[in-house]
Amino acid sequence: MIEPHAAGAATLATPPVAAAAAAAPDAPGVEALVDTFIAAHPGGHERLIPLLHLLQERLGHVPFEAQDVVADRLGLTPIQVFSVLSFYHFFTLTPRGRYPLKVCMGTACFVRHATRLIETIQDTLGIDVGDCTPDRLFSLEQVRCLGACGLAPAVMVGQDVHGNLDTKAMRRLITQLRSQGRREAVAAAKETPRG
Amino acid sequence: MASAPVTITAAPLGVGDLARIRAERRPRLEARLASLRPERGVVRDVLVCAGGGCVSCRSTTLAAEFERLIAASGLSDRARVVQVGCMGLCEAAPLVLVAPDGVYYPRVDFSLARRIVTEHLAEDAPIGEAELTHERDGEVRRSRDVPFFARQLKIALRNCGVVDPLSLDDYIALDGYQALAHVLLETTPDAVLDTLKRSGLRGRGGAGFPAGLKWQFVREAAGDEKYIICNGDEGDPGAFMDRSILEGDPHSVIEGMAIAGHVVGARRGYVYVRAEYPLAIERLGHAILEARAAGILGARVLGTEAAFDLEIRIGAGAFVCGEETALIASVEGKRGMPRPRPPFPAQAGLWGRPTLINNVETWANVSPIVLRGAAWFAGIGTARSKGTKVFALAGDVRNTGLVEVPMGISLREIVHDIGGGIRSDQPFKAVQAGGPSGGCVPAEAADVPVDYESLQSLGAVMGSGGLIVLHEGTCMVELTRFFLEFLVDESCGKCPPCRIGLRVMLNLVERITKGLAALEDLDTLMGLARHIQRSSLCGLGQTAPNAVISTLEHFRDEWETHIYDRRCPALQCRALLTYEINEALCNGCTLCAKACTSNAITGELKQLHRIDALLCTHCGACVTACNRGAVVAH
Repeated sequence: MIEPHAAGAATLATPPVAAAAAAAPDAPGVEALVDTFIAAHPGGHERLIPLLHLLQERLGHVPFEAQDVVADRLGLTPIQVFSVLSFYHFFTLTPRGRYPLKVCMGTACFVRHATRLIETIQDTLGIDVGDCTPDRLFSLEQVRCLGACGLAPAVMVGQDVHGNLDTKAMRRLITQLRSQGRREAVAAAKETPRG
Repeated sequence: MASAPVTITAAPLGVGDLARIRAERRPRLEARLASLRPERGVVRDVLVCAGGGCVSCRSTTLAAEFERLIAASGLSDRARVVQVGCMGLCEAAPLVLVAPDGVYYPRVDFSLARRIVTEHLAEDAPIGEAELTHERDGEVRRSRDVPFFARQLKIALRNCGVVDPLSLDDYIALDGYQALAHVLLETTPDAVLDTLKRSGLRGRGGAGFPAGLKWQFVREAAGDEKYIICNGDEGDPGAFMDRSILEGDPHSVIEGMAIAGHVVGARRGYVYVRAEYPLAIERLGHAILEARAAGILGARVLGTEAAFDLEIRIGAGAFVCGEETALIASVEGKRGMPRPRPPFPAQAGLWGRPTLINNVETWANVSPIVLRGAAWFAGIGTARSKGTKVFALAGDVRNTGLVEVPMGISLREIVHDIGGGIRSDQPFKAVQAGGPSGGCVPAEAADVPVDYESLQSLGAVMGSGGLIVLHEGTCMVELTRFFLEFLVDESCGKCPPCRIGLRVMLNLVERITKGLAALEDLDTLMGLARHIQRSSLCGLGQTAPNAVISTLEHFRDEWETHIYDRRCPALQCRALLTYEINEALCNGCTLCAKACTSNAITGELKQLHRIDALLCTHCGACVTACNRGAVVAH
């Protein structure tokens, strides 16, 4: 396994606390989240992975601070928590973009040229696999089969699967998401009361 | 997604209730399987496919539009919209079936939806030109008669695309939970075990171990605390069978597990589902809640003394967790690393207790076998592989989707008749069966009957059932490199043959795709492959070299062309390609020059551009950048 180390190294360079604050300004407190979960699910160490799923879902990533809380409540050492977290691709140490682009690299997508989609995204957004754009709008990931092989090549954005994409459709999708992101940002700014 | 929160009726069901619901609801469900041509004034069900593929083609919005149109046309008492699980033909997404006429409409958009409501539902006149048809040799077949549907035999997928996955009553209407009631009240665990053994059902997760034997081991294992696990960690890229069953018919898995719980003496079960399948998790979760509220799961199953309950465990993206001991470690909250067997999970599994672990598709096969008997099931298939197998058909085939066929059918029939042949005009080259653990069956050998042993003899495996159809434009060396890269990434790192051996193999194959290989590299590769096969700890490592071995066996000339001639016949290995700009197509838009990272492309705006072969790094960025297809590779 090479990735976990690479991911770990990347996070040490960017302070996770600042990143967490930027990603989810009104995220519920990690401690409250963990304690509520523990109270609702009596049990032992088998609760670790469900708990990490909860944090990943709510915070968009699982920073070291959150891992410490989990370790404390489950009676594990922080390194035990990190060893499990780093084993699974699903958990990340850095926040993802608002639109996480997960390009399927399953066999069916691969033979229908999913590599070209990755290149198109890299070209258009100037980011590599595993990175996030500076405005935190997009992040790029490569995933192993979305199980949408009938729609190959497919890209998952959040919970939506976009299928049968070619390079042109991919560029169109990015443009569309970008303007959607801008609209939402404007709408959010309007809603926030001034002063 | 598909489910608005549904109120779950909390009345525990007894056996009598099952019979009542079945009697009340059965005609409506059977009508969905019928092909009765237009009858005036009949009450119709509009089945909108809400399988994973169709949902991403906005089929839930389509279903809402149907509801709206039907209400607006005042047809509410004559037509109902039902969102069902995967109908199989993902190619035609979003797919709609109007019952009881049995008319399929492929690729339905809003305007076709309007026509279906105004013409088919209101006027009883099916729209012939929009119906799903298949034409071959001048003969036109429609809807259920198209080869894609007509050639299938559905056991595990019996309810997929027919029942509403969010409706327990729908499942009960088609004999659901009848097998469980039979097992609890009318027969003995030994008799069930005997039926299962005589049926010849083998594990559908890949290895094909006889299911009855596995159940017996767990039943005979010492200890009061035993567990049942459903392996839904369908990690093979190119496979989506388990996903569709969990999304389309979750109760069939619950019933199979509950039966096993009673037979082997387990009171608790876990369903391990991939995190990549949110819809499957949602629908299975709903089904478990519903079953619990109806007294099918819980302390008193169907009012008897038996207790059984289920919990979902969500995977977190590790391919190796498909291996049973790794999956068990993951359920326990640890790194998903396998351990040596024996002891097998049947003796010491979850928390060291006897554990029965089967794949989703295997579980879905259990209740039909209990209900219809061993002889019926054993009558389907070949001498050693009984019943049916679900395959996920993808790649360069016309009808991508999910198919269930009797064992023993040939690969060629699956690809040509059911799959409709190759989608592009290039010739059929091979079928990749079984994902990264599997191998490639070349077109010449495609008449092989599909069963565990025949596929193995060709160097492929049944695997969990992914079939990727490849045409001539696919480079086998590059495909092998892709699989190796996947396996290197997914190797858990516990045993050196897999951790180091696969990395060395990948390095060698990469050298070949870059034209840097030496002649003896093929022998080194083959030697390594044999070693890794023999000495790896778990199934991942033991089957990892299959991709190399099978392509070297069947496509050796292609490997040799890469090494001797430094040429990639399929034009996929970029380092071996040279690029040129087609003068007739180039309009001088400068996109390629901007994309080039090595300044190898020169040319003025609106003038012909040229590539300097000496500066070119073969990255292929210009090909992707060009909108007119003017950059060609040789």
